[in-house]
Amino acid sequence: MSPQHHPSDALMADYASGAMDPARALVMASHVHACAACRDRVALAESVGGALVESLPPAEMAGDALQRALAALELPEPTAPAPSPPAAAPAGWIAVPSEVAAAVRRRRWVAPGVWVAPVLPPRPGRPLSYLLRVGPGMRMPEHTHHGTELTLVLTGAFLDGEVRYGAGDLAEADDDVRHSPHIAREGPCVSLVACDHPLVTDGRIARLVQAYAGI
Amino acid sequence: MTADAATERAGAEDARLILAIAERADRAAFARLFEKYAPRVKSYLLRQGAPAETAEELAQETLLTVWRKAALFDPARAGASTWIFTIARNRRLDVLRRERRPVIEPGAEEAADEPLPDALLAAAQRDARLRAAVAALPPDQAEAVRLAYFQDKPHAEIAQELGLPLGTVKSRLRLALARLRAAAEVDAPRGDRP
Repeated sequence: MSPQHHPSDALMADYASGAMDPARALVMASHVHACAACRDRVALAESVGGALVESLPPAEMAGDALQRALAALELPEPTAPAPSPPAAAPAGWIAVPSEVAAAVRRRRWVAPGVWVAPVLPPRPGRPLSYLLRVGPGMRMPEHTHHGTELTLVLTGAFLDGEVRYGAGDLAEADDDVRHSPHIAREGPCVSLVACDHPLVTDGRIARLVQAYAGI
Repeated sequence: MTADAATERAGAEDARLILAIAERADRAAFARLFEKYAPRVKSYLLRQGAPAETAEELAQETLLTVWRKAALFDPARAGASTWIFTIARNRRLDVLRRERRPVIEPGAEEAADEPLPDALLAAAQRDARLRAAVAALPPDQAEAVRLAYFQDKPHAEIAQELGLPLGTVKSRLRLALARLRAAAEVDAPRGDRP
């Protein structure tokens, strides 16, 4: 089934313009990977960038700029570093970029039914990027946030109030949302999360998730 | 506002120049693309706060990437200016922010099929309508769009900077993109949309 919950246009603009931080961009990229409709939305938002650049007044280039460029055409192409072998997503997950699938190896169980795995290496002052697995029927750690938290369901489903988020769905929670979604009874839920550090958390499990997401 | 036929032809012509590079390593085609886009890419990078020397260097690298990756250009997917924008944006993230953008969109690395002349013109018309629609955005929406695309500011930061509630900035971007989408898609629907 194709995703039911998509990123807002504001997120599309952040993503296509390149203004978005890497943690949130990875969540967006993973949703777009699984959602054909949003690939078209990204294409539109990128054409806005194209239109803006084309409309800019040209800056003055160095006098020999074109000669330099033409000379550079003859140079051998620098060899790109060999890409790391792609990691396959575990069975039952939506297709995800390989750096997301590879993060599963780093998982740490923090409570019965709950593991967390950092995805992008943490950088001071930048949002956290991690996978969170929570068992069927459990509540997610209660938390509030600073800044928009993005959660992409990779497998399973969770319910936030009346709203159900299944595989491929992206949940966007702004500042000041205080919530404690719970996992659907059918099975565990793994999601890819991007949120600002530090989380404002309540409870022991939430503190552990925060600690291990920042490993 | 209607986009004028000359700019549509120019857009299709830019796409043909990239195809000429892909098909026969056409240096004259490269020179024409360079003259048009290198100064605009530099202008874009200067707006993003790059020092002049870095902006010049990245503009060079962007156009050099156009030469090297021309075979990956698919004119049915994106116009010439859009493709060049994405290359410049990714180089900016690499170099200025030292961040690598996740490359994952399926099909992004597939070589393009032979494009139909109609597809070239249709894409160029779409881009020309889009440029006209960007120029015609109401001031508050235009400001939000410019801050996002030229000043490297995500919408939460735009809200802070303008002293506006987050919801106001989100709705400005939503209205702006809805307008631009409508302009781009006039009598040229592309694919299914939810």
